[in-house]
Amino acid sequence: MAKAKGYSDENLSVRLADRYYRTDDASPDFLKNIEKIGMTIAHMCYQCGTCTGSCPSAPRSSYRIRKFVRRAVLGLENDALTDPDLWLCTTCYSCTDRCPRDIAPTDIIMAMRNLAFKRKIVPRNFLNTVQFIYKTGHGVPNNDVNRAARVKLGLEAEPETTAKYPEFIPGIQKILDHYGLKDEADEILSEGQ
Amino acid sequence: MSGKTHTYAFFLGCIAPNRYPGIEAAAIKTSRNLGIELVPLKGASCCPAPGAFGSIDLNVWYAMAARNLVLAEQMNTDITLICNGCYKSIWEVNHKLKHHDELRDNVNEVLKEIDMEFKGTIDVRHLIEIYYDKKICGVDKLADSVTSPLNGVKVAVHYGCHLLKPRKEREFEAEGVGDTENPMWMEELVAALGAEPVQYRNKMQCCGAGGGVRGYDIAHALDITNEKLINMSEVGADAITEGCPFCQLQFDRGQIEIGEKFGVEWAIPVLHFNELLGLAQGMSPQDLALDLHGISCEPFLNKLQ
Ligand code: SF4
Ligand code: SF4
Repeated sequence: MAKAKGYSDENLSVRLADRYYRTDDASPDFLKNIEKIGMTIAHMCYQCGTCTGSCPSAPRSSYRIRKFVRRAVLGLENDALTDPDLWLCTTCYSCTDRCPRDIAPTDIIMAMRNLAFKRKIVPRNFLNTVQFIYKTGHGVPNNDVNRAARVKLGLEAEPETTAKYPEFIPGIQKILDHYGLKDEADEILSEGQ
Repeated sequence: MSGKTHTYAFFLGCIAPNRYPGIEAAAIKTSRNLGIELVPLKGASCCPAPGAFGSIDLNVWYAMAARNLVLAEQMNTDITLICNGCYKSIWEVNHKLKHHDELRDNVNEVLKEIDMEFKGTIDVRHLIEIYYDKKICGVDKLADSVTSPLNGVKVAVHYGCHLLKPRKEREFEAEGVGDTENPMWMEELVAALGAEPVQYRNKMQCCGAGGGVRGYDIAHALDITNEKLINMSEVGADAITEGCPFCQLQFDRGQIEIGEKFGVEWAIPVLHFNELLGLAQGMSPQDLALDLHGISCEPFLNKLQ
């Protein structure tokens, strides 16, 4: 727990009290990880609720961005990462635009999703996109109806992307493989089948 | 009118070339009429989708976007693009890598494996923001390019999210672009085409599709879309325009899906700004492949005086 206090003097840090109230299952590293991945100052939140008030997802679900920010500050990792509402943020950035503390709640959500993925908690559609890109370079690949339409427009059937130049695809696969993303996606997707 | 041609590497993304190719065709033709030459960015991939990839692993998102940026660096040409999602990936990663040494080093570590290096030598701009930039085009020049003014129709502008937000991080060269609470510059562009831009409630609300929500919980995404459609129809919009093929997909296919799922019938045509501009510059509906749209554009076309 000492590390959670974050004083640079290691000894003093151990002797001083941790000013955060924490439940037994709280993880102090959660906040730090979120701030690092999301590059934002989550601990500055004073719970004004401007974020939830700006959120298009709030009026139609139980998703509350302010609650997720609080969970970040309190280290409630399990609560946050296993909540199905985590995936209801459209990343519209309205909350980030309006937060009076210059926090980026959207990027807190993105960081939490990154951490959830490490626990294999992720909706399937995200993984399908990874597979498409691994195969074609495109998240939304070309198809025959579209090819015919393109030709009628005087465009080439394949756009000037990896679709026309597949020699670029191995490079993309190398990047994804560097992070083990394709294997991870395949594994999680195969679980449900 | 200056005769100078401005050249950009044209980053296509996925949805425009692969679902609404008329946007791509229109962007190339309409820009040429404005002295803006779009050259292909060969071998580009998905930006990659900021919601899908950023949610899983931001490091992959940085590296994949950086690969696209390096392709343009190798051409020594600034990038322009026609999609807000692409803008978020390509503009924002370019900006982040230029300003965070550690991030850039990490990304270059990976890019080394494919003999690439991010140097930070180019800029990224959304094509519509370039149209508004007086130094390159501007409203007057845009109006001068119009041969078939879109008179007699009301158009609701959907700005989308990722071009303008988060405001604190964005930087725009065009004067007058940047407000995220009630911007009016796209309305000025619409008016330059002869159409009447209309103001509606909660104009800056998201289309609902982003962040992977369209794939995760389509009813939730469509409910957000439906709210926007209600607000737009209240002021009598004959069409919706935007600068984002993903928003376009959400509004266009979304209206059909809303009919199926909620039993609410909508028929508001959805046109990317480049498609509108194409019509105003005399391109035919066939030149724009408007027949690929889910919602028929006929009522809108018939209403044009
Ligand atoms: S708007 Fe900012 S300070 Fe207010 S509750 Fe949300 S994150 Fe906290
Ligand atoms: S970015 Fe996410 S949390 Fe913030 S207002 Fe938009 S949907 Fe809500």
